[in-house]
Amino acid sequence: MPNYKAPLRDMQFVYDELLASENINQLPGMEEFTPETIHAVLDEASKICEELLFPLNRTGDEEGCHFDQGEVTVPKGFYEAYQEYKEAGWPTLMASTEFGGQGFPHTFYMLFGEMLCSSNLSFAMYPELTYGACNAISRFGSDEIKQKFMPKMVAGEWSGTMCLTEPHCGTDLAQIRTYAENGSDGHYSITGSKIFISAGEHKLTENIVHLVLARAPDAPEGIKGISLFLVPKFKINDDGSVGDNNSVSCGSIEHKMGIKASSTCTMNFDGATGYLIGTLHKGMEAMFEMMNSARLGVGLQGVGLAEISYQNAVEYANERLQGRALTGAKFPDKAADPIIVHPDVRRMLLTMRAYTEGARAMGGWIATYHDKDLKSSGQEKIDAEEMVALMTPIIKAFFTDIGFEVTNIGMQVFGGHGFIRENGMEQYARDARITQIYEGTNGIQALDLVGRKLPRRMGRLLRHFFHPIQNYIDQKLEEPNLKTLASPLDKAFGRLQRATGFIAQQSMKNPDEAGAAASDYLRLFGLVSMGYIWLRMAEIATQQLADGEDPFYQAKLDTATFYMERLLPQNSTLFANIMSGSKTMMSFKASSF
Amino acid sequence: MEIKKVAVIGAGVMGAGIAAHIANAGLPVVLLDIVPEGAENRNIIAEGAVAKLLKAQPAAFMHKRNAKRVTTGNIEDHLELLADVDWIVEAVIERLDIKQALYKKIDAVRRPGSLISSNTSTIPLALLTEGMLDSFSADFMITHFFNPPRYMRLLELAGGKSTRPDALTAMADFCDQKLGKGVVQCNDTPGFIGNRVGIYWLQCAVLEAMDSGLTIEEADAVVGKPMGIPGTGVFGLIDLVGLDLMPHIMKSMNETLSPDDPFRAISNIPPLIEKMIETGYTGRKGKGGFYRLNREGGKKTKESIDLSSGEYSASHKPSLESVRAARKGGLRALAEYDDKTGRYAWHVLAKTLSYAASLIPEIADDIKAVDEAMKLGYNWKFGPFELIDKLGVTWFCEKLEADGMAIPALLQKAAGQPMYKVDNGQLQFFCLDGCYKTVERAEGVLLLSDIKLDSEPITKNSSASLWDIGDGVVCLEFHSKMNTIDPQILGMVHKSLGIVQKDYKALVIYNEGSNFAAGANIGLLLFAINIAAWPEIRNMVQQGQQVYKSLKQARFPVVGAPSGMALGGGCEILLHCDAIQAHAESYIGLVEVGVGLVPAWGGCKEMLHRWQNNPKSPKGPMPAVAKAFEIISTATVSKSAEEAKSHLFLQKEDGITMNRDRLLADAKAKALSLVDNYSPPEPYEYNLPGPSAKVAMEMAVDGFHKSGKATDYDVVVSNELASLLSGGNTDMNKTMSEDDLLALERQHFVKLTREKGTIDRIEHMLEKGKPLRN
Repeated sequence: MPNYKAPLRDMQFVYDELLASENINQLPGMEEFTPETIHAVLDEASKICEELLFPLNRTGDEEGCHFDQGEVTVPKGFYEAYQEYKEAGWPTLMASTEFGGQGFPHTFYMLFGEMLCSSNLSFAMYPELTYGACNAISRFGSDEIKQKFMPKMVAGEWSGTMCLTEPHCGTDLAQIRTYAENGSDGHYSITGSKIFISAGEHKLTENIVHLVLARAPDAPEGIKGISLFLVPKFKINDDGSVGDNNSVSCGSIEHKMGIKASSTCTMNFDGATGYLIGTLHKGMEAMFEMMNSARLGVGLQGVGLAEISYQNAVEYANERLQGRALTGAKFPDKAADPIIVHPDVRRMLLTMRAYTEGARAMGGWIATYHDKDLKSSGQEKIDAEEMVALMTPIIKAFFTDIGFEVTNIGMQVFGGHGFIRENGMEQYARDARITQIYEGTNGIQALDLVGRKLPRRMGRLLRHFFHPIQNYIDQKLEEPNLKTLASPLDKAFGRLQRATGFIAQQSMKNPDEAGAAASDYLRLFGLVSMGYIWLRMAEIATQQLADGEDPFYQAKLDTATFYMERLLPQNSTLFANIMSGSKTMMSFKASSF
Repeated sequence: MEIKKVAVIGAGVMGAGIAAHIANAGLPVVLLDIVPEGAENRNIIAEGAVAKLLKAQPAAFMHKRNAKRVTTGNIEDHLELLADVDWIVEAVIERLDIKQALYKKIDAVRRPGSLISSNTSTIPLALLTEGMLDSFSADFMITHFFNPPRYMRLLELAGGKSTRPDALTAMADFCDQKLGKGVVQCNDTPGFIGNRVGIYWLQCAVLEAMDSGLTIEEADAVVGKPMGIPGTGVFGLIDLVGLDLMPHIMKSMNETLSPDDPFRAISNIPPLIEKMIETGYTGRKGKGGFYRLNREGGKKTKESIDLSSGEYSASHKPSLESVRAARKGGLRALAEYDDKTGRYAWHVLAKTLSYAASLIPEIADDIKAVDEAMKLGYNWKFGPFELIDKLGVTWFCEKLEADGMAIPALLQKAAGQPMYKVDNGQLQFFCLDGCYKTVERAEGVLLLSDIKLDSEPITKNSSASLWDIGDGVVCLEFHSKMNTIDPQILGMVHKSLGIVQKDYKALVIYNEGSNFAAGANIGLLLFAINIAAWPEIRNMVQQGQQVYKSLKQARFPVVGAPSGMALGGGCEILLHCDAIQAHAESYIGLVEVGVGLVPAWGGCKEMLHRWQNNPKSPKGPMPAVAKAFEIISTATVSKSAEEAKSHLFLQKEDGITMNRDRLLADAKAKALSLVDNYSPPEPYEYNLPGPSAKVAMEMAVDGFHKSGKATDYDVVVSNELASLLSGGNTDMNKTMSEDDLLALERQHFVKLTREKGTIDRIEHMLEKGKPLRN
């Protein structure tokens, strides 16, 4: 049976030490989120994650959701856990204060959310989707709609969904067929079918608020003719109470590889009453707004799963006695040495650790820009928004790719036992697999990066990344303690620059060049970004170690060194891939595949 | 006969502008007008006109000193001044009686055989010469200039039955070669070509827009760029020329056109426009026109009028599906687009083009003249008959027929054949007799567009091409976006060196874009800056320096032939040529400081050398440095080739061509003249003053800053420039090489690219299209 302990020490390191210079609690409205407050809340969160949610993870996976005549039953214990979670006020943490939320910073959520995902990803999806829907409604909804829905949703009384995908279209939403007709009282009447709707139907909450993309009357063709509607499962009475059924029904649920305790539904809207959110035909704008935070959230899922897989792999490697160390027995009194004596096992464990801690730190770093985007103004806000826009596809795709890699390695550490359900390791890999696919496949993220983010404003978004990091690396190259770590990063950074220039030039002539380079480029970008954050962590560790030995900082520094020497070198392969261009793929005859 | 001296009578906007332009051509000119009643200064009108010309924007004179060539006077006291002039231009009020009376006076004093012309746009020549002596009529013709005469290239030339053919030829040659005009021979019909077709088109487009309920922005978006018509469109153009001109022209056209002319059917002035004129909304010169700037609340808001209500509201740029369709599918896709804007496009095209086709041979002998006139007089990219070819003659005729419109005889005769075709590398046009005639160019006219019909480039890439233009001369053509200098162009310059060296005698750098080169591609630079690719930026600078340097050191002559803007890196390539043959309308300057940079493709190096070796400069190292600093730090752009000589962007021996179409031939001749015994220039040496001069310039900049003439960041850039031009840490006793100066250019350029102020300026220029004053 797997175990989970929230990595509180490392989280504190990220929030208090690594990101101290970002001064999150000096942003307007963020004053109370001092490190002390954050510690206290993380501490409480760790308990609910370890004790309430984690124990339901395996059983939820075994039992899954059940569908019977339009009703969905979540696994045993989920309902009670949700009520406890709700009553303790956890859903209100991130919501803005206007409707009863507590307005915690995103930087905090990167840590809290990670714990939720480590302990029970399927469960975490219910509140996460509600939070995403709240974001969209509070930004684009009318005051009337906000008053009607937000307080209940913020409190977790009602939950939310995002209904985008239809049977014939996922990535290409221009083909959406669900349509809205003008109904009475200025409302709309929504008809159509949506598939793959997470948390589409369940009885955890009293009502479910669906955000549905549909075509309004007289909509222009294609992506410019799509509007966003709010469609509740039950209509709302004038006094705000839950009323009659609203012609929204669940047709079936999906049988999936992972996240089995999350109900993934086919939703049918049959002339259901809907309310327009935002501007008519401008639904994609609202959707993109939601996608940015949703994509960061999915990236987080990769980190959460990587973390729990790592913890259990370490435990197993310490306990599992098998064979002897290559250099001779280390524990001659025991029947065999624990497998952790082996370089290859250590390679696996350090790979898991370096990616996981690196992603945690990097996610926190980018979340500070998210907070600045929301809380600052003027040029600072624009710069922060641009940095978030640039890094969002990288966080989503790179974190979920390493999430799957790490959980997969975790199984490997367990050997044959990794393949056995009871040991829990294979569930993490199965759960991680969807994160590379949903919320825009990782291939789409890569296209977003090279096709939209790179060229925007002649590469202005890139400036927020390249300038400070170039300066930082240049400084650290001058410091004897950090030179050996900074120098491989410097080389990788140079390759990233050249690859960026190459793609920008090539894609002007032939967009296929950008497409061919995209995935490798995103990975290269992610690796270099993570290298940067490792160098910063190594800098802190070095400073701390100067004051005396400390196993935490020593481990940090050693992991940083492992990252630079063992993981970052992938950059030269990626660079070679990118520079080879599209020809090998595009000149291959379609009929020969 | 040769025209050596000219007189212009009538010092209104047109007369004065014509006089100024004749002065630009280097000729003395007499400018006379009437004596106002009770005037103390009897020359007040002509003198006032010259004063106004000196202030005109855009400038009427190519150089202020040209004003000295204009002798002012009045027609009561100074008619004897006409006695020794070769050409007398009449540009007085459009009244027959006044003109005829004046002609009598002129004829009494003029030299026999001197040419007389009227700039009338509406009165038939036959009426003007009625009752005049035969000798007068033989010398008389119409020379119809467009406003402003310096800039508008069209000159409509019409002779009468009695006009001497050799007089017409002399006039055509003079206006073509000396004044640089595109001379179009017209018949003596009302409004000639430009106004007959152009005003019909404008009026048609206005009425159709009103009928189909379009906003003026929609109309301008359709009858604008998609048709190859300037972006001002119809309503923007009328605002520019003045709404009050329309009824005036309508009236005089109606007086002279035959009653069944289609022009008459559309010549009514809509009540809205009448009311606008009455209330002073006559266009840009008045309170505003169809568009106006609302300055309420200290902000400038562009507003547009609602054609049905006459109310103004904030102007919005429309986003039209029809225009997008045109971008993909061309003109026909626009005319076929099934919405009100597509139908509007079709109606305007159908009426205008078929009217133009119906006017051959009434207004001109052939379609080429009409196309030339509309292209030169209205800045249309394509003439009416070229537009018909874009639509397809058969398609156009079928659609006219389907709409119940008459098919002009010319098009019936064409029976589906195109208006223009290329036969054996020769451009030919369709004639009324059903045959094609080859487009003949005048002697001394050489066009790259013609060469392209008859040959393939020697080599080409996405931004530049090399053409064999005969007699051993190669033409390097830029064709990147806005002709900005990018790595492909540099690559082609480099490549040309080997090719010319091996198989040819000389190189001419020339293109037929609206601008020679708008500068280096700063978009690429900004991208490199954004990814902190500092070594690559240094390489980019060095690459440009090396290519320009090797161009200069090539063992064959290189002639630069600019027209329009030659800015920044475009100016620098000219500075490295052996000689320049410039179109008179060349606007040259080193404008790098506008984007927070310093010239670094050898621009500073070349300017320092030129000013050091300028015989008129005071001796010592300082004056040249100060002069180069003054020109570069203020981003001075010469407003003509003549002015460029004063700035030493052009040198004394460099040539100026008045007629755009003659530029390539002149440049080629210049290049060939340098071939014999050619040797590349010796490397330059510099003795520069060093830090003391730098301090002096910094103090000057500080003064400008304190007085508010220089912004904070101007000071930063100027100080870098001062350090560069004074030679860095040198002193007068040290001799520096060209390479030393190039190294300094690189150093200061790269340093500035890392400054936020520079990055902001580049970004602003790219996104807003104008300099940031930070």
